[in-house]
Amino acid sequence: MKILIVEDETLLSETIVAYLKKEGYRTEQAGTLDQGREKVNLYEYDCVLVDIGLPDGNGLSLVREIKGCHPETGIIILSAKNSLDDKVNGLDLGADDYLTKPFHLSELNSRIKSLLRRRKFEGQLAYVVGKIRILPEQRQVFIEEEPLAVTKKEFDLLLYFVTNPGRVLTKESIAEHLWGDFADNSDTFNFVYSHIKNLKRKIFEKTGTEYFRNVYGSGYYFEGPKATPEKPDHTIKTDPL
Amino acid sequence: MLVTFVVFVIAGVFFYLALGHVIDYNIREMLDSRRASVVLYLQNSDKDKIAAVSQDRTIFIQKISKSAGYTQISDTLAFDPDEKGMIPYRKMVFSAVAGGESYEVIILQSLLESEDLQAVIISFMTLLFLLIFVALFFLNNWLSNKAWKPFIQSSSKLKSWKLSELHLVRFEKTGVTEFDQLNRMLEEMMAKMQADWVNLREFTDNASHELQTPLAIMKSKLELLLNDDSITGVPHNQLYDLFQTVVRLSKLNEALLLLSRIENRQFAVDAEMDLCNLIQSRLSYLGELFAMKEIEVTSALEAPFIVQIHPMLADILVNNLLSNAMNHNFVGGSIELKSGNQEIVISNSGIRQPLDPQKIFRRFVKGSNSMNSNGLGLAIVAEICQANHIGLIYNYLNDCHCFTLRKTSDSLEAI
Repeated sequence: MKILIVEDETLLSETIVAYLKKEGYRTEQAGTLDQGREKVNLYEYDCVLVDIGLPDGNGLSLVREIKGCHPETGIIILSAKNSLDDKVNGLDLGADDYLTKPFHLSELNSRIKSLLRRRKFEGQLAYVVGKIRILPEQRQVFIEEEPLAVTKKEFDLLLYFVTNPGRVLTKESIAEHLWGDFADNSDTFNFVYSHIKNLKRKIFEKTGTEYFRNVYGSGYYFEGPKATPEKPDHTIKTDPL
Repeated sequence: MLVTFVVFVIAGVFFYLALGHVIDYNIREMLDSRRASVVLYLQNSDKDKIAAVSQDRTIFIQKISKSAGYTQISDTLAFDPDEKGMIPYRKMVFSAVAGGESYEVIILQSLLESEDLQAVIISFMTLLFLLIFVALFFLNNWLSNKAWKPFIQSSSKLKSWKLSELHLVRFEKTGVTEFDQLNRMLEEMMAKMQADWVNLREFTDNASHELQTPLAIMKSKLELLLNDDSITGVPHNQLYDLFQTVVRLSKLNEALLLLSRIENRQFAVDAEMDLCNLIQSRLSYLGELFAMKEIEVTSALEAPFIVQIHPMLADILVNNLLSNAMNHNFVGGSIELKSGNQEIVISNSGIRQPLDPQKIFRRFVKGSNSMNSNGLGLAIVAEICQANHIGLIYNYLNDCHCFTLRKTSDSLEAI
């Protein structure tokens, strides 16, 4: 999977690259609109992350260009402005998602995965972690072919963990993922805790394995064999990269 | 027009008085001339042949014993055979001496003709005044329309002008120096205002960008460090504290920027939103949060509360109010939502003492018990309400903190 990051802040794009490299993506960087334009015209990417405020122009024009030459490429807009107009314009131009800075890297990763899942595998992709099998589009969880009843929030939570395997997910990022703007609420961490507790119990009852681990009070860690995306019709586990 | 009318009335009264005076004077003249002819007649006639009554029954002469030398003028009514009724007369009674005899002469002068004359003149004048008045009215309207046309054009252009829409207003040449001067000054002023506004907005946008990006870098670097397996224990916790602080800082920055953007009216009102509907949908989304805190939510939001507001602001408004009601509540508390009579009331249980309504909507005023709130939530609510002409009232009722959103006359007008 090839990802292009068009972002003028090298420090930020390098951090994104470092995070995404761990996921096994091939990444390239462009610091200006012109560089981005050049790369987009020369190569084909699976996903492009575009910053709106670039030194030589508005990133939205790049969105239009990418949609013109490579309509299959997924686009996520990164913006420092939490502006509804930018969001609406960007999505109208064909961008798939919109993230406001500062974002959690785990959230970005989760969004990229969901985007690629939709674009590359037409949603027909399952995540398998040990005995757990998750069908994101159908919103179903199976444990050894036996369906597991989970609530909507528990499913979102599980998917968030599974798309960020082996990472520390901070309580902040989980709360924001689940409740968006409402995550400012001081009680949300307790809710995160109780959701994880429930999910942990449900999965433990069926599998006898502890997948969630608490990390020094800062967040949670999803352990277990690395989540492997696979196409349901393939019996052999495919390498996701 | 009122002035014209007053002038006309005064002129009419004066005219009436002057006319009466002239007529009086005229009648007096006539009486005097007839008196002169009567005196002449008395002097030239034989004593015996003096007729006591003139043929037209307007002059009566009678002998009196002595002459006192008097003249009296008075008004009287007398029967007139032609008119077959009593008609007004002016009566002149005077004494005259002729041929050693004293006579008292009464001369009657009919006032009928002069009254008729007066009536004709008055009615004619009234008609004339009315015609002039009507003509003046239309002339005045036409003239003022014509003369003020450039002004009306300018003012209607000004009325439709919005700072945030950023189009320059061009006034047409009016041909009137004063108006052209005014329009030129207005153009300059508006251009300056728009330039300032654009500068301010750019500054806000830049500030947002320039601050959010370093914060994004800090946050993502910290996230990478938190994921570093070699950092464990105390250093990890310290990194996490740092991470939390950065998150708080960026939220604070976001909130302050939002406030300044609302203050600068950078959210154009472009949609009608039913806040009740919005609250309902937020409630179903957040239901489990309330359930987990064992907060009992009772909502009676049947009557819609429709306001003109930017959808993002409506969202933030509802979010902050609900968040506030939950945040400052206790486990097992209650939230009550009511709508009706052009208002929404959100009341929640909480600390059992009223808050200072002067203070709670100010920035950085925090409830003592919540560490995570930045003290800007209600300030943003107040700012949004002010910008969108929604009344916001806090009161403490039955151990509950009530926040009331009410439509003001402005917001009613806007719809």
